[in-house]
Amino acid sequence: MSREMARSVKLLATLPLNILLNAILIIPFAIMIYLAFLKWSPAMGIDWWEAAFVGVANFVRALGDARFVNALTNTVIYTVSTVSIEFLLGLLLAYLMLGEFTGKKAVLSLIIYPLMLPPVIVASVFYLMFQPYGPVNNVFLRAVLGDDALRITWFLNPRLAFTALIIADIWQWTPFIFLILYSALSAVPRRLVEAAQVLGASSFTIFWRIRLPLIKPLIIVAVVLRALEAFKMFDYAYLMTGGGPGVSTETISLYIYRVSVLYTDISYAAAMSLVVLVMLALVIRLFIWYFFERVR
Amino acid sequence: MTCCSDNVDKSDPAPEGQSSRQNSVDKARRTFLIALGTAAVGIGVGYALGYLTKPAEIIRETVERTVTVTRTVTVTPTPTPAPTPIPGLSGAASRAIAGVRDLLNKGVIAPGTTIRILHVAGSRANLEKAIELWSKYVPEVRVELITLGTEPDVYTKAMSEAVTKTGAFDAVTIFSTWLGDIVEAGLARPLDEFYARYDPEYVGPCAPIEPLGSYVTIYKGRRHSLALDSDVFTLSYRKDLLTSETYRKEFEAQYRKPLKVPDTWEELIDMARFFTELRLTAPSGGRVWGAYFYLEPAFAAYITWFNIFVEAGGIPFDLETMDPKVESPEGRYAFDIILRMKPYMPPEAISAAWADLYDKFVKGETVFTAAWPSLTKEAMRPTSAVRGNVGTALMPGVEVEVGGRRIVNKAAPNPVNWVGIVSNYSAHPEVAYLFLQFATAPDTGLDMVLTGVILDLFRACWFTDPRYRAKSAEGYGEEFLDAYMRSIEISYPDILIRGGTEYLSKLTTEVNNVAAGLKDPERALSDISAEWDSITKKYGRDAQLEAWRALAQLFPENVKSVWRAKGYMK
Amino acid sequence: MEFRIVTKALKYIVIGVFALWTLIPLAWIVSLAFKSYAEWRVSYFVPKNPTTDNFVLLFKPEELLGRYGVMGATAIIEPATKPLINSLIVTAATTFLAVFIGFFTAYGASRYRAPGPFTLFFTLLTRMLPPAIFITPIMVYYSNLGLLDTYFGLVFLYSAVTVTYAIWILKGFIDAVPVEWEEAAMLEGATPIKVVFKVVLPLVRPGLVVAGLFIFLLTWSELLFALVLTNISAVTLPVHISKYVGAVGQLFGPQAALALIGSIIPVAIGYAIQKHLVTGFTFGMVRG
Repeated sequence: MSREMARSVKLLATLPLNILLNAILIIPFAIMIYLAFLKWSPAMGIDWWEAAFVGVANFVRALGDARFVNALTNTVIYTVSTVSIEFLLGLLLAYLMLGEFTGKKAVLSLIIYPLMLPPVIVASVFYLMFQPYGPVNNVFLRAVLGDDALRITWFLNPRLAFTALIIADIWQWTPFIFLILYSALSAVPRRLVEAAQVLGASSFTIFWRIRLPLIKPLIIVAVVLRALEAFKMFDYAYLMTGGGPGVSTETISLYIYRVSVLYTDISYAAAMSLVVLVMLALVIRLFIWYFFERVR
Repeated sequence: MTCCSDNVDKSDPAPEGQSSRQNSVDKARRTFLIALGTAAVGIGVGYALGYLTKPAEIIRETVERTVTVTRTVTVTPTPTPAPTPIPGLSGAASRAIAGVRDLLNKGVIAPGTTIRILHVAGSRANLEKAIELWSKYVPEVRVELITLGTEPDVYTKAMSEAVTKTGAFDAVTIFSTWLGDIVEAGLARPLDEFYARYDPEYVGPCAPIEPLGSYVTIYKGRRHSLALDSDVFTLSYRKDLLTSETYRKEFEAQYRKPLKVPDTWEELIDMARFFTELRLTAPSGGRVWGAYFYLEPAFAAYITWFNIFVEAGGIPFDLETMDPKVESPEGRYAFDIILRMKPYMPPEAISAAWADLYDKFVKGETVFTAAWPSLTKEAMRPTSAVRGNVGTALMPGVEVEVGGRRIVNKAAPNPVNWVGIVSNYSAHPEVAYLFLQFATAPDTGLDMVLTGVILDLFRACWFTDPRYRAKSAEGYGEEFLDAYMRSIEISYPDILIRGGTEYLSKLTTEVNNVAAGLKDPERALSDISAEWDSITKKYGRDAQLEAWRALAQLFPENVKSVWRAKGYMK
Repeated sequence: MEFRIVTKALKYIVIGVFALWTLIPLAWIVSLAFKSYAEWRVSYFVPKNPTTDNFVLLFKPEELLGRYGVMGATAIIEPATKPLINSLIVTAATTFLAVFIGFFTAYGASRYRAPGPFTLFFTLLTRMLPPAIFITPIMVYYSNLGLLDTYFGLVFLYSAVTVTYAIWILKGFIDAVPVEWEEAAMLEGATPIKVVFKVVLPLVRPGLVVAGLFIFLLTWSELLFALVLTNISAVTLPVHISKYVGAVGQLFGPQAALALIGSIIPVAIGYAIQKHLVTGFTFGMVRG
């Protein structure tokens, strides 16, 4: 096969994307990077192009900022917990939903419903549900633990507050992984599946040994995309716990938001964002190298 | 499945006989040029689209704006307009309308001009009322509202505007706490000139009650805003519980003190304890707690701590050096009171949002609480479980020694007061100011304040003048008014110098840490001190000191006299 | 035999449990939409005094002037119809643009490694940035371009940040299409463009659908950029939801009501595309 690219295809493949990204993102991105090397905040009364250049001072400050490190740690723990649980649940569900059954369309619509809601409303709803006067304590836990359940205060205890956030995330985002995996699993060539069935393989074996390996790239895509989103989680922390108690559930997005919006310390926020960016980029790069390039 | 391998040549993978260094350099250069080219094309496309898709009216308005500006230059500066009293309007409102009329007649602004006001959703009813009244007198000038959901949204938009200077709105309603930031960012126009020209009645029997009238509008000695609101805390309590004979006897037996409205925090703690231990049940089914004061982490925890701190005679920054002075006996005392009060407050006080305090009180689940005047209004609704049983008093104070005498020093917090500022990038600053003056005038202002919940009375005559008092009483209840007026007289501002939000936000986090048991008070105080100091350094010690000195002068007299007694102030 | 029945039963039980888990918070949202203020902070699901006031407030706020008994929320916001329409326009445009660009990029990336690895990585970078810090730069940029408060401004920004999804998901699907099928088509005389449209495109339909759906959902509920980049004309649904804040905090009832109404369109789309989530590669598709 001639590997020479058809001009038209190559053009379509690269030009639109380039125009879009370059036109929209490059300049703000460049501005943001530049801001990170300045000492500037709108409240200083000077324009940003007049502000003083301070080199890597902001970055050094970020690395030594205990609250920054705390936010990062919280976010990492949060991301790892939610993504792994969502992956397992999503995979299980995708497997179970593979066959046909009555009412499947309705059940599928229900399962993916959480994706259709703005995270803002999900956060508000879980906020109300986890309050001491809410149903989680008074109805569900009470059934299991009796009146002891009434003494659990979710948002007063750092660990419980964290758990509440994770639960909200799992509720809303498991369908994301489920959907990708489900469509990927369904796209596995039917003849392969039929061939294996003829050979007497159980549905589980088919799943484990045929479908799963074939969709591995999409698994990676699903996990990476979800992890990137989870890392940026803001709404739940903002609306359910406010980062509290203290700063025990403050995620990096929330901290950067506070620094850039409330404290208007934009240069510092930009520096922190870049640090986060570099960290994530490294992790993703390693991840991709490991899964895509090492195993041939 | 491969991707992103560095071994692959970027632009063309056909490997046979094509690899030479010169070739790859050419390719790199080509790629760079292509990227540059597409960026230029993209930006060009963006500009074109931006211009073409602007709604026609905005393009017309931009053109009009240019025309207007040119015309203003050729007109001699307007002398103070002879006050043409408008029948039925008070002085300030009348002058505002006359001013607008004047500008219209002189052609400085054209009929059909629109003023845009950025504000928060909660104040929409109030502003719409003001617009309704305004349109009766000046229908040629339209006022449009840009509504945002929450205060941080307004702050974000305002600060963004300070950077981008788009002129998308002419006035903003902001929290007094942000005044320093907004002024220093260059967004808030100084209004002394307009005050002098149009006299919004800030002196006289109908002036905004001092010291509030001054400290929410004056920054570094100049006027930058008009007050829209007062937001002074009062102590709200359950009258029925406090006047019940049974409880009086029991309390007296237990504590050997009369059960009355507490004058000091110490007294309040005892009473709160008493009621909490009774384990009463509210009509809602929930437990009744003795007290509920703000300790939540999002923004309000500082209010309680700062209140006790100031009453005890504490001063946040040294007046000579701008050093934080929180690691002081007053700071420790404030934490002491909070920790002793905590067992008698519902556990949610430390985590739930600020509306939770309202909810609990209105449901009858707290005995002593303190919040903005809107709490009293809420408690008066037919749906409230405590309707008719709410008493209002001054915030409890702290016993201090002044001039050899022991007195109870009371001061009321005024957190986040709404004020209106005019944008420096507005095309019609004068008209925007006149609208604000009209909306806050003695007569029209009262209508505006009473239509809605989040704005409250701030002019003295609204309490004292019989013409206005009846209306006010309808909104708040008679007995609230006197206590509230007195509270305003002893009220003090947030730290509204530049970085104010940051100072207070850091304070809130630490207070919440202590309340949640995550930090001990000493450590918290030293952390607050360190954090405040770094904020001060960021903005420049001298600049902050200048602003703080100006602000400290605007604190109420009783607070200042304690500062003098302690040597914090000369 | 019994083993099969047990596993089948188990399968339905697990699905049922998950459906229930999904249903409960959803039921809470529905109940909030029919509750008045006094019943928002409670533990029971079924309102004792159900009301449709929340919905009325969304579309006919004038009817509730003064009567709306929610913590004095006489703050009457504009009806939610315009934000709904705005959201629909912006989201649909974004989805089409992003999927269109993403598909071709993914094809190029999968078959020809163009665009190269750095560009692809850059697209991932767009998802790694905490949005809060991007606000000021994008505001500065857009205000200079005159794209503030316009449909185009939002659509371009959203497309730029969501095209990653399209690229990566579609690349995964395209990778799975055997190159030989394309070669076969070309041997039969099809031009490269035709190959793309007639061979590859139908086979990755689930990918298109999934990517499209995600981009739709992400954009439909995006709040932060919409808040900063719109004022009056291009206000979208999430921004409008955020305006339902009364004098005393969020108005959970109207927000829940609007969220429900706002979810109707995505749900309808989700339901309609279900059959496209599954293709199954079958013989006989490679023709002409």
